Amino acid sequence: MSEPLLRVENLSKAFGKVVTANGLNFELKAGELTSIIGPNGAGKSTLINVLSGSLSADGGRIFFEGQDITQLPIHRRVQRGLCRSFQVVNVFPHLSVFQNVEIPVLAVARRAHHFFRPVGGEAEVADMVRAVLERVGLAGQAQTPASALSHGDQRLLEVGIALAARPKLLFLDEPTAGMNPVERVDILQNIRRLSASGETTFVIVEHDMDVVFSLSDRVMVLHRGGLICDGPPDHVKGDGQVRECYLGEEVR
Amino acid sequence: MSRAGVYLIYGLAALALVAIGLFAGRFVLYLTMRVMLLAIFALGYNLLLGRTGLLSFGHGALYAAGAYGLGLFNLHVSHDPLLGLLVGVAFAALIALIIGFFCVRQTEIYFAMLTLAFGMMFFSLIWNLREVTGGDDGLIGISRAPLLGLPIGRDYQFYFLVLACFALAVWVIHRIRGSAFGLVLAGIRENHQRTSFAGIPVKNYRLAAFVVSGAFAGLAGSLATLLESNANPFSAHWSHSAEPVLVSLMGGLQTFSGPLVGSVIFVVLREVIERFTENWMLWFGVILLAIIMGLRGGVMGGLEKRLGRARAARPGGAS
Repeated sequence: MSEPLLRVENLSKAFGKVVTANGLNFELKAGELTSIIGPNGAGKSTLINVLSGSLSADGGRIFFEGQDITQLPIHRRVQRGLCRSFQVVNVFPHLSVFQNVEIPVLAVARRAHHFFRPVGGEAEVADMVRAVLERVGLAGQAQTPASALSHGDQRLLEVGIALAARPKLLFLDEPTAGMNPVERVDILQNIRRLSASGETTFVIVEHDMDVVFSLSDRVMVLHRGGLICDGPPDHVKGDGQVRECYLGEEVR
Repeated sequence: MSRAGVYLIYGLAALALVAIGLFAGRFVLYLTMRVMLLAIFALGYNLLLGRTGLLSFGHGALYAAGAYGLGLFNLHVSHDPLLGLLVGVAFAALIALIIGFFCVRQTEIYFAMLTLAFGMMFFSLIWNLREVTGGDDGLIGISRAPLLGLPIGRDYQFYFLVLACFALAVWVIHRIRGSAFGLVLAGIRENHQRTSFAGIPVKNYRLAAFVVSGAFAGLAGSLATLLESNANPFSAHWSHSAEPVLVSLMGGLQTFSGPLVGSVIFVVLREVIERFTENWMLWFGVILLAIIMGLRGGVMGGLEKRLGRARAARPGGAS
């Protein structure tokens, strides 16, 4: 079983003349907390969109647990265990926190098509929802409408919805965007804890260098659709090319 | 409102409907049946519009599919009303499956326009296939044979069949709204992208909602055909598709009872206004405007909000 969790072969994607993924090749190992960084326009969001199924690849192939998923629609990738969260808050605003998490849980439990049994009677589902809310720390607000949560809590809910789908591989798109420092520390501790528990492998797309270097086992640097550096945080910090194209901007 | 209060209101409404069936005159009987038929149509429709967030202008065609399904079966195969209703509903669901298959690939305005286009195609088919559908005459001479030995020929007898179907529709749609499937439909309305990232095949669920709402449109159409003893091609016209939209809007899209209340208002208002003036649509438009501008969320939505506010304001009500 040396098959990596995710293998990307020669992946490319362009919008007109703007190349946002230029023959990418890499593998992701289970349990390794990986960060993808890069300056604006490096192709980070496009990469997530292509891997999770929102956009189709122009060329190349994507293998998840050894199976070709390049052509699969979003919900089939999610069912296999590949999910994502979003950079902007992307929840079900008028549903309660509980219901927000209940929808993916119903899908995982294969109960979503039950059309005649009251959903409140699905005891197993309710337990699973409560477990997810405990994990992300929103158990106390289960009945609050999602739109009434604070921004930070909405981000937590966002992660909760993604986790509720029981992913093996979860992409977090800028999980700390728009958070205050306290919330930021909270969610990072959460991610570290969840990652250590081993159920889900996290891949974080981030802007914030502190987050990346404190959290990751491995850092991948994208620049103009290509992978220019890949390795442990210390290795990436010391890389000249990365400094030049990315870190240099930050320092200046 | 408390749960007991809601049950009390539904219980009283059921009693009133039975009382109307037993004691009311022909005119009130007929009017009440029209209200119930429209309510079945609109309740099913609102599963699509209010719940799933899809605006269809093609449900007139599905209503007509029910009407012509029952009509043709009644004229050529069997007079059995129960079988006829089943055939009507099944035919409407089949047409909904075919139309829906193409429409659910699109959302919003494109979905609405596609349903409109399919609805118009269905209307012209009915209009032009004279040998089968009777063209502009429609189907006439549809009979009401006894149902399982019970006569339904007279209106006061037929009324109870309509009432039974209405009660069944209310119950089934209420169950669907409260089910896992119903919650997923609400999720699709709120955020269809996120719903597919929850692992749900969104298109299939949209299609299922379309077919279910089409089946109820077909039930309403079949019953109306039995009531009037004829099937009318204009029931497939897109202007008829607007009726459940208006009814749901008036009553309240986001409430279960909205389409019920909307149906009562629609039928009764039309009856009252038509006594005074020919262009009832003008006055109806003014009233619709007042309801939509004044009570956002329709009559029931507005009422709910007001009741909620009253409860929150009550001292000691919420702490």
